[in-house]
Amino acid sequence: MNEFIEAKVALQWQQPKAAYDVVIVGGGGHGLATAYYLATRHGITNVGVFERSYIGGGNSGRNTTVIRANYGIPEAVRFYQRSLELFASLEDETDRWIMHNQKGLLWMTHTEHGMRAEKARAAVNTAFGAKTRYVEPEEIKEICPQIDLSGGGKFPVLGASYHEEGATARHDRVVWALAEGAMHRGVHVHQRAPVTGLLRDGDRVTGIETPDGPVSAGVVVSAVGGHVTTLASMAGLRLPIRSHPLQAFVTNHYAQAFDAIAASTDLLFYMSQTARGEMLLGAEIDRQPSYSYRSGHHFLESCAHRAMTLFPFLRDLRILRQWTGICDMSPDYSPIMGKTGVDGFLVTTGWGTWGFKAIPVGGEQMAQLIATDKTPELIAPFSLDRFARDRTLADRGSAGTH
Amino acid sequence: MLERLEGLRIIANAQALDAAVWPNGSRVFRLAADDVFLLGDGEVHLDDPHAIVELETGFSGMSMEPAAALDWLESTCEWELPGQRPAFAQGAVAGLAVKLWFDETEVFVMTASALAAELEERMP
Amino acid sequence: MAAFTFDGSSVPFDSGDSVLLALRKAGTIPGGTLCFAGDCPHCVATVDGVSYVRMCQVSCRDGMTVEPHPVGGAPPLPDGTTAHTAPLQIRHCDLVVIGQGESGSAAAAEAIARGRRVITLDSKQGADAIGIYAGLTVLARSQYGLERIHCDDVVVATGAAEIQPVCTGSDLSGIYTARAAEYLLAHGVDLGTVVAVGDPPPGHASVSGQLVRFEGEGRVAAVVTRDWDGTEHTHPCDTAIVGLGLHPRDALFRMARDLGVTVVGDAAIDATIPPPPQAGTICPCANVTADDVKNVWDRGFHEMELMKRATLAGTGTCQGMACLPHLRSLLADLGGTVQPPFTARPVTKQITFGEISAGAHLRAYPRTALDGEHRRLGAEMDRIGGWWRPWTYGDTEGEYWAVRNGVSIGDVSTLGKMIVTGPDSAELLERLYPTRIAGIKPGRSKYVLILDERGYVLDDGLVCRDGEYEWFLTFTSSGATFAEMWVRDWAESWELDVRILNRTMSLGAINVTGPHAKELLERVGLSDPPSYMGHASAQIAGIDCRVFRLSFTGELSFELHHAIADSVELWRALLDAGADLDLRPHGIDALLKLRLEKGHILVGQDSDFDSTPRRLHHEWAVDLSKEFFVGKAATIRTNKAPLNKQLVGLTMDGPAPHEGAVIWSDGDYNGYVTSSTWSPVTEQSVLLGWLHLRNGELPTEATIEERRAIVSPVPFYDPDGGRARA
Ligand SMILES: Cc1cc2nc3c(=O)[nH]c(=O)nc-3n(C[C@H](O)[C@H](O)[C@H](O)COP(=O)(O)OP(=O)(O)OC[C@H]3O[C@@H](n4cnc5c(N)ncnc54)[C@H](O)[C@@H]3O)c2cc1C
Repeated sequence: MNEFIEAKVALQWQQPKAAYDVVIVGGGGHGLATAYYLATRHGITNVGVFERSYIGGGNSGRNTTVIRANYGIPEAVRFYQRSLELFASLEDETDRWIMHNQKGLLWMTHTEHGMRAEKARAAVNTAFGAKTRYVEPEEIKEICPQIDLSGGGKFPVLGASYHEEGATARHDRVVWALAEGAMHRGVHVHQRAPVTGLLRDGDRVTGIETPDGPVSAGVVVSAVGGHVTTLASMAGLRLPIRSHPLQAFVTNHYAQAFDAIAASTDLLFYMSQTARGEMLLGAEIDRQPSYSYRSGHHFLESCAHRAMTLFPFLRDLRILRQWTGICDMSPDYSPIMGKTGVDGFLVTTGWGTWGFKAIPVGGEQMAQLIATDKTPELIAPFSLDRFARDRTLADRGSAGTH
Repeated sequence: MLERLEGLRIIANAQALDAAVWPNGSRVFRLAADDVFLLGDGEVHLDDPHAIVELETGFSGMSMEPAAALDWLESTCEWELPGQRPAFAQGAVAGLAVKLWFDETEVFVMTASALAAELEERMP
Repeated sequence: MAAFTFDGSSVPFDSGDSVLLALRKAGTIPGGTLCFAGDCPHCVATVDGVSYVRMCQVSCRDGMTVEPHPVGGAPPLPDGTTAHTAPLQIRHCDLVVIGQGESGSAAAAEAIARGRRVITLDSKQGADAIGIYAGLTVLARSQYGLERIHCDDVVVATGAAEIQPVCTGSDLSGIYTARAAEYLLAHGVDLGTVVAVGDPPPGHASVSGQLVRFEGEGRVAAVVTRDWDGTEHTHPCDTAIVGLGLHPRDALFRMARDLGVTVVGDAAIDATIPPPPQAGTICPCANVTADDVKNVWDRGFHEMELMKRATLAGTGTCQGMACLPHLRSLLADLGGTVQPPFTARPVTKQITFGEISAGAHLRAYPRTALDGEHRRLGAEMDRIGGWWRPWTYGDTEGEYWAVRNGVSIGDVSTLGKMIVTGPDSAELLERLYPTRIAGIKPGRSKYVLILDERGYVLDDGLVCRDGEYEWFLTFTSSGATFAEMWVRDWAESWELDVRILNRTMSLGAINVTGPHAKELLERVGLSDPPSYMGHASAQIAGIDCRVFRLSFTGELSFELHHAIADSVELWRALLDAGADLDLRPHGIDALLKLRLEKGHILVGQDSDFDSTPRRLHHEWAVDLSKEFFVGKAATIRTNKAPLNKQLVGLTMDGPAPHEGAVIWSDGDYNGYVTSSTWSPVTEQSVLLGWLHLRNGELPTEATIEERRAIVSPVPFYDPDGGRARA
């Protein structure tokens, strides 16, 4: 078997029960991680995960797999730094190869304003334990020899923040390792099991509706992506979420030679080489909110062009495939996690363009909340009521993608 | 080369602009229902006491020979060009906001002066 | 004879030959069942520096260089030094027909007969359809380069591909699909002893029984079949031909089905589901065998998509053309149902970065009318707030002192500027701005914030009144584009009778600032300057200007707004008139220092997503006694929440810390610096930063970069504003 074929994970499917202690809606990374940490950290295994398509079929299997903690506010740096650490030990813990690879992330800038922002990023990162420093062009060239520092004569690179612990991992494998770990301990994961409604007893949510009948639950966790506002509205909640498409594309496979993750704030793209050798590129969300998974040619043309401005070697690479995911964007570029004010109904959402890296920590914290009924300190800033309480998180520094 | 144009910019209610009498020989570019850019000399009579009438030097333009212009537009203009003459059209050309005037003898290309240098780089 | 280089040796070719055909004629042929139709992945190579090119799809050119694809590996990343460029052509028509076989030609002919404008594409004619996108837009690559075709309808007539054999030995060379064999024979290629299985090409009989394996060392030497009773037969051969049926090339159709695209001919047939493969490579791109699929299946990966992702079958260079029929067959065998094919995604023909970005442009940054002047003066230009602006003329310190002690000019043409008139103009502004507008007298101006519906600061600027119904508004440089949408949206939703004209790109603005500003302007004709926060029309150096008296730098300042046609003349006249006053222009770097000494915030730098007027110490710019303004309800609501942080002034001895530096209180994170500079005139570092309240109180000092910082009132310089009002 060649090394890229999943060789170990064994998924055990079960028939749904009529009741679970915990029902998790959405079998993406966040739903499955919540189940995994419930089972492994709290011994809570009477858990049912309901996924409308196949596990990882949402954004968790469509993203560009960048893992980083170089955010712009302390609450975020702390949170994502925890995820970075959990990611780094996930292979050992699950005994599964998730292709985790610490590559270092360069965030290039081409303006005075951008330099200021990257220096600011380095400062707040350092203060909260994330390894980020500001680097000058010469060092950028050493880290990433393929770069044209002149930016094609149009966008000269003035500097970058360098986040040493920036990493990537194979998205599907993360999903499967967590699913398997949860299933192995007794959690039920159901595919092709859409949740069509919520059972309510007065103000309290007591379970879910599915095409195969109702399932009652001690607590229902929404870990859905793409259409989270629809599900939340069934619980009488209006979430401050807008869904926007985010696109990406890959090339054919080439021998490993591009070691870093490279991004540019002004040219708005980022790129890395996958374990199999594809160059993987992404950019910013589509401006127009939409639920359409259709890819656009304009994105492809423009993103390819911008990337080539810094990386002329891309010119003759052949593009293989492009795709789109739907991102639930919160107004302040931060997740919305925890209690909702509706009894029996928790959410983990607002993962936007940045939630892959948060899968382990998101699951860990949601599990702790479910097990203890207390909001852990690490995610308290991300609660839904922050918008009403004027505690919006202002993360201008990371209002980017990936 | 794009040259800076000197004209009048007139913002008025749409009915007033529809009914306005323009000076002889002037070129009237209707940029929007309430927005006209006028090239040419003479008095304008408008029935809108609140109309904004300002000297406008914010656009630059150049005349192109029709065949050459159409050739260039074929690789830079995503939308379908008008077939009749004369015609005025505007939209993205070569990634910039461009206004086009077509008549039998020329294609007149205009953009904001602030982007003129950029547009020139994107012209043949 | 014309020749190209393959793997270092010269290969001759006949005109019109594809590279693969020429290689076959020369007897060098890659392994795997070749289709000669652009479907299978077996003939990819690096052609003139571009890898993953199917050799059957490129015509030979004299002198071209072809490198074989590395066996079992991947080609190196190229260096991008080839000069491949492609132009862009944008076309419009009623109908695009993709594929010009029988059904495609018929569809095109029928549409043409009905008077429709038709564009046809066919790989055989050198025009590959890359993808179908919303619009409808078809992306294609042809001899012209990249084509973007905008149309109303698309007919997909791409035909069907032949199914590849999957069994032991199917990776040997010398195996061809039935159509490929027919093609080679038509081109006079001697195939030697032929053994055919399945549906053979015309003129060949096939051997009976089921295909079991191919035998040989590198090249096929025999085909082994099995009868219904289990007996195996070995058929020695030089060439094996397999006719295993067709599956539609319908990816283009599937990716655009919901856009109203139609499919005709073989592209519309039901796919043949071949017998489930027992051994051999199912996916040659990702090297996945039948055993691998079974193994992964046994571990719970039953969905087609999961199987694809677990094995990576279908994710390689042929995007599933080779493996999909076999995967479906095997999964149906294992699970009892035939699963739909995996999602079809663009691109259907691979395209390089160079090709796809034909005609693409980077974002354009506008230039002020003084751009040439700045460059001539040696300014270091930078992209600031969406414009090209002079960061410094090389001596920020000197530029700074010119403002503080003498007189200086700065290009502020990028300021957002807007004229609003109309019967409802006062009403509009009253609703838009959180301060009272009605009381502003003609000729006077007022500083304003713009709030969003959540009560957070979007922008700031001035409201200047010209008459009962005439107003002039300013916005920040980076806020101008958004401001226009904002004002227009509200005017329309409230159905107010107003006229709006954005003047940002039409009016230039030069800031004349410094203690000698008045003197300089007198020399160029301003005899009656407006008083502080006033404005007036005047001729300056013979140019019609509107003069605004305000101050961002803290010194006596006049902003001269004028038609941009006159910017250069005015700029030069000022420079000339001020030569003996040591007049010099200042760049943005100096300006940011100057304004920071005055404690003026920069929206977007000092403010953030959650900046309420209260947090910015700008309650004075909000009048909650007004009946209504955008953001009023939110401001009342947020004012009830305990205040948690504020933007404050800080001073420090010694050099200025970095902007973005963390502010510590008693060892805890307590905020960060938004603006920071050494203040030459006050001889200390002056800062703005976000500071959190502790137990309801703002700390009076803090630690920044391990040094003591004192929370200080702003302005840091000339606190009572005497200099600006002078
Ligand atoms: C192109 C792209 C690139 C990205 N790049 C990065 C990156 O580099 N780094 C990073 O950190 N993040 C990245 N992201 C974001 C990241 O992918 C997501 O934030 C993350 O995967 C979210 O995980 P999730 O589990 O919340 O959502 P998902 O993985 O989308 O899972 C939600 C699941 O809910 C299911 N569901 C929805 N409704 C129902 C229902 N009613 N009943 C049952 N199930 C339902 C869906 O089918 C889906 O499987 C990217 C996203 C995209 C689209």
